[in-house]
Amino acid sequence: MAMVDTGSVRLHVQRIGPRGGQPATATVVLVHGLLTDSLASYYFTVAPAFAAAGLDVVMYDLRGHGRSGRPAEGYTVEHNIDDLEALLDRLAVTGPVHLVGNSFGGTIAFGFAARRPERVASVSLIESEPATAAWAEKLGGILDRVVTQLAHNEPDAIAWISTHRGHNTARLAKGAARLARDTTLGRDIPASGVLTAGRIAAVRCPVLGLYGGDSDLAELAPWLASTLPDCRTVVIPGHEHSVLVEASGTVGRHILALVEEAGRTTGRVAAEVAG
Amino acid sequence: MNAPTPHTPVTADEESVLADLTGMLARLLEDEYGLDDIEIGMRTTFNRDLELESIDLVTLAGLLQERYGDRVNFAEFLAGMEFDEIIELTVGRLVEYVVTSLKAGEAS
Repeated sequence: MAMVDTGSVRLHVQRIGPRGGQPATATVVLVHGLLTDSLASYYFTVAPAFAAAGLDVVMYDLRGHGRSGRPAEGYTVEHNIDDLEALLDRLAVTGPVHLVGNSFGGTIAFGFAARRPERVASVSLIESEPATAAWAEKLGGILDRVVTQLAHNEPDAIAWISTHRGHNTARLAKGAARLARDTTLGRDIPASGVLTAGRIAAVRCPVLGLYGGDSDLAELAPWLASTLPDCRTVVIPGHEHSVLVEASGTVGRHILALVEEAGRTTGRVAAEVAG
Repeated sequence: MNAPTPHTPVTADEESVLADLTGMLARLLEDEYGLDDIEIGMRTTFNRDLELESIDLVTLAGLLQERYGDRVNFAEFLAGMEFDEIIELTVGRLVEYVVTSLKAGEAS
């Protein structure tokens, strides 16, 4: 198991590439979501297809999640952007990367693109949005419920989840409760720095927004498309927030199309500059 | 790399693959959860019986890679499944997949 020490936390990283040691056409970095999520959501869904398509695929567990270290504090979006930047430095990935983020992972990916535009070739947001004041308020409410209901009444809450949502979800919820109880994550995330409309609109790389048709977040699609200079959105009917794992084939195809298109455009620009 | 080969040579039959997987799972359960007395057989499920989380399956993928190299691709095996199938996955189903993959490797 590969661990990368960023200086402030040890991150669990998995990296797969094209078969037979073919050179990769580009690097794609996959950022997972909050609490119950880990890099496994990519490893067993879209990652094999991305590698087969010729990409260098980097996946990592966010701090506090999966097999990465779980520091007691430091869970704002900015801390997570710092981790991503340090990870790319440690892996010596210097060229622009294609970022993919699921839910909270997309908020990190977008924040990274706003901070370091020269290091990002495209951003794919799955059921996700930039860190705005409205986002921070919404996350604050969700995390407050997790902390109060799960962390403070854990046995009852887990029993309820087990009965109504199944054994697997209950097991994942136990991990989420531990993270909420043992760290400042619940306080840190709503206290993250947010992006102004101007800083959001300044993200000029191609952005793809993918949403489940039955998700509350789908209503963000028109806003995202009208706010960003280069954005396309796709709403996948019949799915909610878990669209990445439930419709991974469709999600993967849209992301690959964006990556290939952005790669061609970058190549054309480079050729024009060279010519 | 010239790492020492673990255990015995790889054999593409059910019994030895089950022994391989039992060893890997025992190692994983001990390393991650401190468990050292779990019984594992063909009908054992990863989720309900062994209580493995999806991130544990990533670790298992690494152990499979260590043992069998590129002949067995666990991520591709699971990527072709529905979520419910993964939840119900048994050790026996993975044993069958490994045996089939190893035999395909021998034939080519």
